[in-house]
Amino acid sequence: MSTQKKRAFQIEAFKHRVVVDPKYAEKTWKVLEHAIHEIYNHNASGLSFEELYRNAYNMVLHKFGEKLYTGLVTTMTAHLKEISQSIESAQGEIFLDELNRKWVDHNKALQMIRDILMYMDRTFIPSNHKTPVHELGLNLWRDVVIHSSKTQARLLDTLLELVLRERNGEVINRGLMRNIIKMLMDLGLPVYQHDFEKHFLDVSANFYCCESQKFIETCDCGDYLKKAERRLNEELERVSHYLDPRSESKITNVVEKEMIESHMHTLVHMENSGLVSMLVDDKYEDLQRMYNLFRRVPTGLTIVKEVMTSFIRDTGKQLIMDPERLRDPVDFVQRLLDLKDKYDKVITMSFNNDKTFQNALNSSFEYFINLNARSPEFISLFVDDKLRRGLKGVGEEDVEIVLDKVMMLFRYLQEKDVFEKYYKQHLAKRLLSGKTISDDAERSLIVKLKTECGYQFTSKLEGMFTDMKTSHDTMQGFYAGQGTELGDGPTLSVQVLTTGSWPTQPSPPCNLPQEILGVCDKFRTYYLGTHNGRRLSWQTNMGTADLKATFGKGQKHELNVSTYQMCVLMLFNNVEQLTCKEIEQATAIPMSDLRRCLQSLACVKGKNVLRKEPMSKDIAEDDAFFFNDKFTSKFFKVKIGTVVAQRESEPENLETRQRVEEDRKPQIEAAIVRIMKSRRTLDHNNIVAEVTKQLQSRFLPNPVVIKKRIESLIEREFLERDKVDRKLYRYLA
Amino acid sequence: MTLVDEVEVEVDVEVEASVPVKKVPYGDIFEASRAGDVERLRYLLETGVNVNARDQWDSVALYYACLVGHLDAARMLLENGAICSEHTFDGDRCHYAALNLKVRKLLKAFEARPPPLEPLQAALRDTFLACVSSTQGSICCHFPPDVVFIVQGKRIQTHRVILSARSPFFKKKFTADWKDRNEVRFSKEKLSYPALYSLIHFFYSDRLEIAIDDMEDLVRICKVCRCESLHKVIEKELIHQKYADYKSLGNVDNSQKRYILQGLSLPEEDRLPAALHRILLTALSNSTHESGQEDKLISMMDAMQMAKSVDDLADVCVKVDRNIFRCHQVILASRSEYFRARLSHMKNFNEGKHDLSVDTLPCVEEHDLSKEAFEKMIEYMYTDRLQDINPDQVCIHPYNLCDSGLSLCHLILICFEQAEEMFDVASRYLLFPLKRAVADVLLPHLEMVSLDEHCHWLILADMYGVFKIREYCLDTIACNFETFADSKEFRAMLLTLPPPSGDSSLRTTVPSIPGSPLNTDQGNLLDDLREKWLAIEAAELDKRDESALQFDKRLEMLMLVAEQEQSSDNTDSDYTRAFLPNHYPDLK
Repeated sequence: MSTQKKRAFQIEAFKHRVVVDPKYAEKTWKVLEHAIHEIYNHNASGLSFEELYRNAYNMVLHKFGEKLYTGLVTTMTAHLKEISQSIESAQGEIFLDELNRKWVDHNKALQMIRDILMYMDRTFIPSNHKTPVHELGLNLWRDVVIHSSKTQARLLDTLLELVLRERNGEVINRGLMRNIIKMLMDLGLPVYQHDFEKHFLDVSANFYCCESQKFIETCDCGDYLKKAERRLNEELERVSHYLDPRSESKITNVVEKEMIESHMHTLVHMENSGLVSMLVDDKYEDLQRMYNLFRRVPTGLTIVKEVMTSFIRDTGKQLIMDPERLRDPVDFVQRLLDLKDKYDKVITMSFNNDKTFQNALNSSFEYFINLNARSPEFISLFVDDKLRRGLKGVGEEDVEIVLDKVMMLFRYLQEKDVFEKYYKQHLAKRLLSGKTISDDAERSLIVKLKTECGYQFTSKLEGMFTDMKTSHDTMQGFYAGQGTELGDGPTLSVQVLTTGSWPTQPSPPCNLPQEILGVCDKFRTYYLGTHNGRRLSWQTNMGTADLKATFGKGQKHELNVSTYQMCVLMLFNNVEQLTCKEIEQATAIPMSDLRRCLQSLACVKGKNVLRKEPMSKDIAEDDAFFFNDKFTSKFFKVKIGTVVAQRESEPENLETRQRVEEDRKPQIEAAIVRIMKSRRTLDHNNIVAEVTKQLQSRFLPNPVVIKKRIESLIEREFLERDKVDRKLYRYLA
Repeated sequence: MTLVDEVEVEVDVEVEASVPVKKVPYGDIFEASRAGDVERLRYLLETGVNVNARDQWDSVALYYACLVGHLDAARMLLENGAICSEHTFDGDRCHYAALNLKVRKLLKAFEARPPPLEPLQAALRDTFLACVSSTQGSICCHFPPDVVFIVQGKRIQTHRVILSARSPFFKKKFTADWKDRNEVRFSKEKLSYPALYSLIHFFYSDRLEIAIDDMEDLVRICKVCRCESLHKVIEKELIHQKYADYKSLGNVDNSQKRYILQGLSLPEEDRLPAALHRILLTALSNSTHESGQEDKLISMMDAMQMAKSVDDLADVCVKVDRNIFRCHQVILASRSEYFRARLSHMKNFNEGKHDLSVDTLPCVEEHDLSKEAFEKMIEYMYTDRLQDINPDQVCIHPYNLCDSGLSLCHLILICFEQAEEMFDVASRYLLFPLKRAVADVLLPHLEMVSLDEHCHWLILADMYGVFKIREYCLDTIACNFETFADSKEFRAMLLTLPPPSGDSSLRTTVPSIPGSPLNTDQGNLLDDLREKWLAIEAAELDKRDESALQFDKRLEMLMLVAEQEQSSDNTDSDYTRAFLPNHYPDLK
């Protein structure tokens, strides 16, 4: 026990006696200095870590921290000066190798020194606000080695030269490069930025400026973009291999600026290879490349977008203004759809489905579709065509696709009510003549219109379908109840149409043949018996009839004709010859309709069941008609159409327009009243703006028309002008 | 070291509590919390009750304190490790029950910054987390792990010694079939990674945090690992969770709910320090204590014999004063930066120069160190506490450190000279918490020592940077300045100190901003003494500069006297004797 104790005391005593030794600090420092020398000379394996640490610890403990610290600084500086000289003397290629090797050595030595002096690092340095050993080592390396007059410029030049050589296609030692750059970064971000990055960016900017100039003179747009892309990727790769990740945005900025931004306009407008020709030739890859590159610069995409928009507008305008095209509405709409498909494909494949591009495409379509006032009609005709026959044999999905595309065009229309009008007409024709192919397709289109424009828009269309259905049921009821009484008279099929839902023009009923009248009257009594208080009026101008006729040589045919034609033909059951005038008197068909009807019966080759004298295209009042005994046809059933162009004739067109205008008036008035009811007072401009907004989904109201409507409302005392401010309107409830 | 100081909670404790504080002299922790009887609570916490225990109504003490709104009681509980995380059952109830916003703010503050772990647990947890982060690629800067578990495709890097210490299962495995493997791959689907991770994290840090969803897996793992007390607690909690109703969280999904367990909730022998203590004892019993034998060969033979007989998983030998201690690198490196550097530099420096290739373990030698001090130090490193190792050594006062917050540290310290050596060891091996712990033990004894010993301790404290002792000595000297001025030893000491700077800018006529860094810096001793003296003597602020000048003159005079004394008294080592430990009367 006591021996142990004494030993402990001895150690303590020894430790404190060293303070007495005035040369203690000097001696200990010599030991440590020697150790540092040895460490730098790779001779550390002969040293004892414990002993060195203890020495350093005791020095700091006995307040020689300052001496230790300054000693460390001097010794390390001296060593680094030596190193610096040896690096400077390295020739040519091996310069970087030497620098790297010394840096690795220095780091290793520094770590060892720091560990030996750890006690100083932990206690003396924080309380005296000195630089910690590791940081000190880095700072000294920076100041003595990197910033030595010879090395600094040489290092920079070497590094930049290596980069240049790599850009020119040579293979360089990337590992070494990475180590050196890493060294600069370890020395602190400012060192890296100031000593390397700044110059690197300058040199790069120069390089790419020259290169892009060279390329733009020799290459076409696609090649140029390929080269630019490759350069960009090279720089990205360079950053990931041996530069600081934070430099990435900087160097790509340089490349973008030099390679793309400064030549943007030249590239886009380049003749024979610019954006326009890419679009024409469907060069999706090139377009995609252009998109990806131009996206990187601030105004790049705007330029691309503008050029694309103006190009689409031009093509669209040409298409829409081409009188050739206007002849065939179906083809016209098909072309529009193709155009749209093409650009949709460009945007999805090359432009990354960019929303702004989609918007640009939409706005350009909206622009040129509305240039032609007849677009709504054509679109409706296209649908009509498709639903009449075009959809035969195609699957459900395909029908949907076609309809969706049509809806897309529909969305571009400003005058949706015009479309509605035409659509209603076409639908009515389809329904009444039973020519719709698929009920599902019809209904699905109606649903689409409904989601697009609201319930109001389609309520009448839906009403038409309901009528068709109830008529069917009524007819079934009629025949079930009275089938036996009717005998073998003509079979009647009545469609009861609700007034208002259908686009009917009031027309005086013609005189039906006796055979038919009987059945008609029976139906009337039956119908009115089940439905009280309704009024039925026959729309003879819309029906059809199937007639069985026997011609000369006993040839039998079934003729499919309109009601008017049926009336005309029935007359010939009894007489051989009739003039136009006589027919008109007998049937009371309006003259214009009768002419058309006779024309179709007598003048169409292969369907001329009547013979006309004289043989001319036009029908005069005095022309005589005979039953054509010699009529032949390969078919048993012969369909005799009415000579009506599918497209409306000019005057009819004007008429439709007029009706549309008429229909718009109450809508505008309703909108005005709605707005005023909630606002009470509003000035003129605001009313116009609000009305336009409210009606936008149906059509674009003309401000002049709105003004007229307002005036009319004032007249009818719905509104009044404010007495002080004449621009202000007041709502009178 | 107190935990109280390290948690800054910016909650004003209402001095006038709204509820009259009742005394419950015989109450348990729940009653004390409910009554807000802080003294009783402190006493209970000092005796080591489990602060997170639940009573028969499923409530924890913190719940009552929050419910009634006793801020100081709640704070005391929180500082002692009460769990208040909102996603746990107990924490949720506390948040829900909190009487007012102040209480809730307190809970939030502690949830955001829980009181730090004790040094041992914190150091080991850092090591573990460094191992975890190093799996993502970077090189482990701490001590490298020696075994890797691969569970569900993920790696957990750990150290054998810690796992063996905590679980008999791992201990057996590591001595048997996993002995030479450094990678263990579990292919069973049942073994869940989060549960195993939580458990191993618990092994290192004595703090378990686990999602409720993973608890079943954990129970299974605990059973396999034979962590019985933990198994019991978790199993009980699992049943409890089935019926647990989280009130303030509402419909938070199960995956966010957590369970947190502090080591304090387990019996002492199952906590980290006790486990490591067992490991240490095994290792120590295997270490050679050379008693006068000079023949190295024989001791080497002994060591080799021992290595074969018992496997204590030691992976390094430390040779101190002709004794060889078997230690564990991970613990040495985690606790002391010095050892971390030392062990990582084994190749760079000539360390094995004695060629003591004892059973192929690497060996490091430490000089200038007594065996006793080293034993105490490694005990502190392994267990966070200091205990009398040699029973035949005389103890002055068994002293309990509870009031400073370290309830675990039953420090029984010894004699002053050993304290001095402990200071030396603590600063040399960069074990700063140890320094504080020793200082706490030492401080009460300083009241009884003589004048010259005050001087002695002042010098020492200044040298080793023990602020507590230094402050204490300066205070004493400043209070009794005249008495000290009369003593020869004090005057002699003055000569050894650097003169006061005389820089008036250092003089704090203006009170410095609280918390500014300058205050804590170790400055000139005499400058500090002057400050203390001024604070005590010069009540008038406007006369401070004058008084300071007077004090400086006084010091100069005293130094002159001292020089005269020294020259007349030509026994040159005399003045240094004052600071030598020999000066103490031999206790034997």
